[in-house]
Amino acid sequence: MRRIAYRFLAAISVLVAYSGAACAAPRPHYGGTLRVMLQSAPDTLGIPADATPADYWDMARTLSLIGDTLVTLDAQGRPQPSLAVAWQSDPSDRHWQFTLRRGVKFHDGSAASPAAIAQILGTLHSSWTVRASADSVTIESETAMPSLLAELALPRNLLLKRNADANNNNESRPPIGTGPFLVADWQPGKRLKLAASEESWAGRPFVDAIEIEFGKSLRDQAIALELDKTDVIEAAPQAANASQRHGTSSSSSLSLPVELLALVFSANSKARDPRLREALALAIDRKPIQSVLLKGAGEPAASILPNWMTGYTAVFSVQANPQRARSLLADSRQPVLNLSYDASDPQAQLIAERIALNAREVGIAVQVSVSGAEDIRLMRVVLPSPDPATSVSEAARQLRLPLPAFPAATLGKSSNLDLDLDDLYRAERGLLDDYAVIPLFHLPIASAVSARVRDRETGRPVDWNESGLSRADVWLADSRSTDLRSTDSRSSDARPQAARR
Amino acid sequence: MNGLLSTTRYNQPNPDMRARTSSGLRLGWLTSFLLATVFLPSSLFASSLGVAARQLAHKIAAASGPGAFALDVTNRSSLDDKSVREVRSALEAELYVEGVHVTKAEQAIGTVDVVLSESLRDYVWTAEIALGSDEKKVALVSLPRSPTGTPFAAALPIVLKTTLLFTQEQPMLDVALVDMPGGSRLILLGESAVSIYRQPGANPSGNSIGRWELDTSFPIAHSRIYPRDLRGRLMLRRDHLFDVYLPGTFCRSSSNAAAPLTLACNETDDPWPLTPEDNSVRAFYAAARNFFTGALSPGIGKISNVPSFYSVAALPRSNYTLWAFAAVDGTMHLVDGMTDQAIRGTKWGSDLASVRSTCGSGTQLLVSESGDSERDGLRAFEIPDRDPVAASAALEFDGRGVIVALWTESGGTGATAIVRRKDTGWYEAYRVSISCGN
Repeated sequence: MRRIAYRFLAAISVLVAYSGAACAAPRPHYGGTLRVMLQSAPDTLGIPADATPADYWDMARTLSLIGDTLVTLDAQGRPQPSLAVAWQSDPSDRHWQFTLRRGVKFHDGSAASPAAIAQILGTLHSSWTVRASADSVTIESETAMPSLLAELALPRNLLLKRNADANNNNESRPPIGTGPFLVADWQPGKRLKLAASEESWAGRPFVDAIEIEFGKSLRDQAIALELDKTDVIEAAPQAANASQRHGTSSSSSLSLPVELLALVFSANSKARDPRLREALALAIDRKPIQSVLLKGAGEPAASILPNWMTGYTAVFSVQANPQRARSLLADSRQPVLNLSYDASDPQAQLIAERIALNAREVGIAVQVSVSGAEDIRLMRVVLPSPDPATSVSEAARQLRLPLPAFPAATLGKSSNLDLDLDDLYRAERGLLDDYAVIPLFHLPIASAVSARVRDRETGRPVDWNESGLSRADVWLADSRSTDLRSTDSRSSDARPQAARR
Repeated sequence: MNGLLSTTRYNQPNPDMRARTSSGLRLGWLTSFLLATVFLPSSLFASSLGVAARQLAHKIAAASGPGAFALDVTNRSSLDDKSVREVRSALEAELYVEGVHVTKAEQAIGTVDVVLSESLRDYVWTAEIALGSDEKKVALVSLPRSPTGTPFAAALPIVLKTTLLFTQEQPMLDVALVDMPGGSRLILLGESAVSIYRQPGANPSGNSIGRWELDTSFPIAHSRIYPRDLRGRLMLRRDHLFDVYLPGTFCRSSSNAAAPLTLACNETDDPWPLTPEDNSVRAFYAAARNFFTGALSPGIGKISNVPSFYSVAALPRSNYTLWAFAAVDGTMHLVDGMTDQAIRGTKWGSDLASVRSTCGSGTQLLVSESGDSERDGLRAFEIPDRDPVAASAALEFDGRGVIVALWTESGGTGATAIVRRKDTGWYEAYRVSISCGN
């Protein structure tokens, strides 16, 4: 806070009045085009089942501009209304009813009716029985679905219509949703232009359009941002972390950790002895990797879920213990293990080589390679939901581990009950007990935005990865001239004739 | 090491545990317990922190069984040092009740490592109980994190004073305090309802957070889509209780007579009054945007059109009223009925309000501004001639708050500021008033 001595008040008050603060918080302005660059180059606007984490986040954020889910989760994991305004389930959690928001239309003008929503959900989930009634849809399953709300909030459940083309291929056509933007132009793998939907049920977005360029490397994105040719780019977490520390003209931001970097033993791994896997886990010194290779980004991890979701990661020790690792391996002959990594991840090779070095120090021979039969894989796992039970289940699916079993009282409910926390802990511990997976780091996703991109809530340069922030809520600080041209026609018409200039 | 941890198991309390304690130790621990109980602030025991400490102690005792343990408490949460000390004291006292005695490591049969951590939603406390060299057990408890905040008041001669009126998780657009038969009422305009809270027998200007009880709520139906940056205004009235102005919607309450209160709403583009007076200047609000179009009805003297603006404040002069408009293009316009003077480069925020006081010219202009990249502040200005002059220090709202609404109170002697906290996301309603200080 700026404090001004009273005796100087008169002398400098005019100066204060004019200079004010460097960044006073204005209300959002309407207008302008937000320019975005992304690495991925998708041929279709959909989330593939085997998407890499980068592709997953790119497409999830893009599609969420076009469509809505029935419910959303806030950063605390609590369900919030979206296309559904109310919901209820029977005690068995097998039968759910969702009351839909009235008057919502798809971008093609058709009503987002219960029948239309039920058809989309039924196509997405063949194991569900989805029925439409007057103002609601019901979802039934033979198994209990206590985590249904968190499931429905995932990007894969965005309610998008896909009209088939002449060849009956409905993936090549752009999706039609109910979200804040509609597809104006789609060039697969290259460019997507989205236009603001005037009829968006959540209110028209502040920007007129969003132009997304796909297939741009991180380096090209950084140069484009520097040259003011784009507004939003992706960044490596370590680069964003460094720029946050040193300060740059653009605004870099890191999300909460939403990815897990882990070592995963393959089904045919030569490391069949759990003691060998445990020894490898104890051999890895995560701190130097974090400080040198990740430049401080990410959090050393020995658990699947990050602390912001659970609060209990302190009981999963990340400390290396080479002495104990050696004692576990005493008097036993170990096979040479082949450690593979994602060649497209620039940090992966360096991290893998560091892990191999740690392993050799305790007597485990690890060979880093992207070819040959892999015994261990260094992989990134998406933690897609703020709901911890859903994220741990999704992580287990990606890691090809057995899905954790939760008592019905835990999933999708508040985690405030001790019973829930204990159940979650037990489920996570159970997945890690035989060391088939060795968690290494929880990583954020990073981005950088130009100074003209502002956040609706604060009016300041946007923290792009802040939980819950939607690109529909950003506005452009230099869009005032556009803004004045685009004043609301209905209100203008309502002006008394005498009041017009 | 992970493999050494076992799943938490729960023992039945051991009825013999006190019998196995030496009488000297018992006396010492009893003294500690009594001291802790007597001298700990009652707030701790009354609060959820005390309850959580008791729960964790119970779980630790169930996992460890009775005996002497070394206790280590590490804070990795946002709890302050005082709270941590209180938690530790409470934990020691509760452990004593459970038969677990805290002692030095060399005298202990095991260790209890407690970490006070937190997730985004909860405080989470973990305890690792180690018995012998290998065996480790884990106990967990959680309790919701609650938003706290205290208003900050600057200490310069013209002082902006704040009173926290209400806090809630859902957005607030405006609030108003009113004295009514049966006690004070707080009328709260939310995004989809007007809620009326009762505070029997309290002074409306008192700090009343936490003591309002919901009396009644009136949903506001609307078929038009609201803009994303939704704004709304509550205005207390003389002949009925209040009016509500929302984009494209107007609501009028029934009179405040004995009959039950009702609220009638209709969709309209009629202009909003800029001051509480019945013959106030009115301005048209762009129903799908977040600003006034600039068309005035009736106008201010000869001026019936000003640039589109976000907010306006009326500053009475001896024989006219000076109107300050915060225009959408970032300029400020001073309109006196004859001229419209644009002032550029103020770099103020978008929200203005006027507050009547006994200081200076008698009415000050409140302006939202930003002290740093995280927090909004308010500052009072005088406009003695045509140049704004700062009249107070900046008032920041504690806790990384961002001002999302600022309106002049219907009575004119204060302003209502709605602040959204960056740390919790909750909304806080403040009454802002001016005192002349020294």
